[in-house]
Amino acid sequence: MFDVIVRGGLVVDGSGQPGFQGDVAVKDGRIAAVGRVEGEARQVVDAAGRVVAPGFIDPHTHFDVQLLWDGAARPALEHGVTCVVPGNCSLSLAPLKAADRPRVVGMFQQIEEMPPEAFTTAFDWTWEDFAGYRAAIEKALSINVAPLVGHSVIRLWVMGPAAQERAATPDEIAAMQDLLRQCLDAGAVGLSTSFVDIDENGRPVPSRFAQFEELDALAAVLGEYGRMLQCVPEFYATDITIARIDQFAELSLKHNIPTTFSPLFDTSAVPDNAPRAIARVEEQFARGARVWPQMQTRPIDISFSLLRPSLFFARLPRWVRVLRLPLEARLAALRDPDTVAKLVADTGPDGGEAMMGRLILRGGDAAPAELAGKTLSEIAKARGQVPAQALIDLSLEHGLDVAFLSASQGHQSTDRIGPMLAHPLVHIGASDGGAHIASFSTYGDTGYLFSEFVRKGRHLSLEQAVAKITGETADIWGLKDRGRLQPGLAADIVVFDAETIDREAELPTFDMPGDGMRYVRAARGIDTVLVNGEVAYANGAYTEARAGVVCV
Amino acid sequence: MSLPGGETISASPALSRQRRFVTPGPDETVEALALRALPGQPVEAAVDAIRSWNLHIFAMRKPAGLLLGSDVVFVEPPLG
Repeated sequence: MFDVIVRGGLVVDGSGQPGFQGDVAVKDGRIAAVGRVEGEARQVVDAAGRVVAPGFIDPHTHFDVQLLWDGAARPALEHGVTCVVPGNCSLSLAPLKAADRPRVVGMFQQIEEMPPEAFTTAFDWTWEDFAGYRAAIEKALSINVAPLVGHSVIRLWVMGPAAQERAATPDEIAAMQDLLRQCLDAGAVGLSTSFVDIDENGRPVPSRFAQFEELDALAAVLGEYGRMLQCVPEFYATDITIARIDQFAELSLKHNIPTTFSPLFDTSAVPDNAPRAIARVEEQFARGARVWPQMQTRPIDISFSLLRPSLFFARLPRWVRVLRLPLEARLAALRDPDTVAKLVADTGPDGGEAMMGRLILRGGDAAPAELAGKTLSEIAKARGQVPAQALIDLSLEHGLDVAFLSASQGHQSTDRIGPMLAHPLVHIGASDGGAHIASFSTYGDTGYLFSEFVRKGRHLSLEQAVAKITGETADIWGLKDRGRLQPGLAADIVVFDAETIDREAELPTFDMPGDGMRYVRAARGIDTVLVNGEVAYANGAYTEARAGVVCV
Repeated sequence: MSLPGGETISASPALSRQRRFVTPGPDETVEALALRALPGQPVEAAVDAIRSWNLHIFAMRKPAGLLLGSDVVFVEPPLG
């Protein structure tokens, strides 16, 4: 007697090989048989007309905090994602001394745009070390988690405030090595670092103060375990990205470790950016190095209102400072003529026409319905104002609850991106799941892969696309127990309709702690998701199953 | 490889040539780095050159010119 049999589907097993009609049987959380399965099961999932695939793996997320109150990392799981990798970009929630929590929370808020309530109202800080954090999230996981440990927090633990001031001493580097070993022993699947991020005060994050020798020493520890080194490079500058590829290639070769960098964007502003980076990756792989570029599937769209800080204003520090003020102080600042004059001036001599004119007013908020879909330039002209002034005044007239969409910021050419996603050395990832929650939805990239690049663009076959986000991802990360439908492996399974799988429209929702807002996309075409053999999502609803684990 | 004082990896014959770079040493000033990277040049000219080739450090960063241990510092202009 099996626990579950998924019957009669097109089995696409994550290897990239052609799919075949068959069944998948599950026993004790593991795949027991694949093919024509005889026998009975306590539960049968009818997969007729559907694809049966391994659960999808999302290798670049920031679900570190959300997992403490939401063990499904919603809505990631309903999109078929059964394993997420948090702890990217040098930031994790462990190891972290109690005294350093405010500092790291500030970094999460600045870099990942997470609301302060997420760190203050939804859970108790019960840990300092990595094992303690693991125990805290493992209490109620319904999705699997393969966590990275952040270089910045390791540095902070060992060096205290000096982590953001200077190079480490040999003794401090040795202490970091020991601490990294503890984290890897406790379930971390690798180390993340950052070369670009700043904290809420504009100060570079601790990892950026590290000499190359420090990173080399930490990579040596990763080599003892064969674990991953991840970084966010200076993705906006091709020459620097290539320099990082070269640095990581040397570490990969020297310590025999996989490395990955994310994101790699395509942009019409610098059309040779991604092709040059990929060409360098090809050269480094030819030498035997493993440097996997992560590329996201979705175009870059940013939504925002003046209710909260947004990535949209990243290059306008005065705007960021004002939007970080408490609501009453923010309203006062936006009503102050001198402050507004400076804000408008910051957007350029054209009053923001070039920077903001193409913004589209979103519907569904407090703004007048008749303005929905109009550009800020159109709205500003009708008001006799420049765009930046119109944005501020219109927002003030409606309690700041006026949302704008900055569409097509880059990475939007399906014809250019499709072949790159299909490239054998390009790792599909970089979703940023759980981060930038008030700027865009980081959920649904897998559905978009199938709708845009399999069905519409035909850049990847169904089997290739599945392999990219399952078997190949598991191989890259050394997740030996995941990513394929093979007897003996963990039974992470997704049943979906190949003709309809997609992401739904991006909508604001208010399900964050403290009624905080985030943008989400629901899934389309996902029937059933099993995690470690238990049905975690079916028929449009989450179940009570809590079979997720920290997987290594 | 970009270890202080060393050659950059772009010199490897197995790879196409890319812009050469170094990384700053502990507490290294831009003047010291410029002299290390561009030996034989007058210090002012060397510093001016380093600044002009690394706008990500000397123009886009706040505070401008703050050298970080992890920085990529190019020691030649963009390749044509």
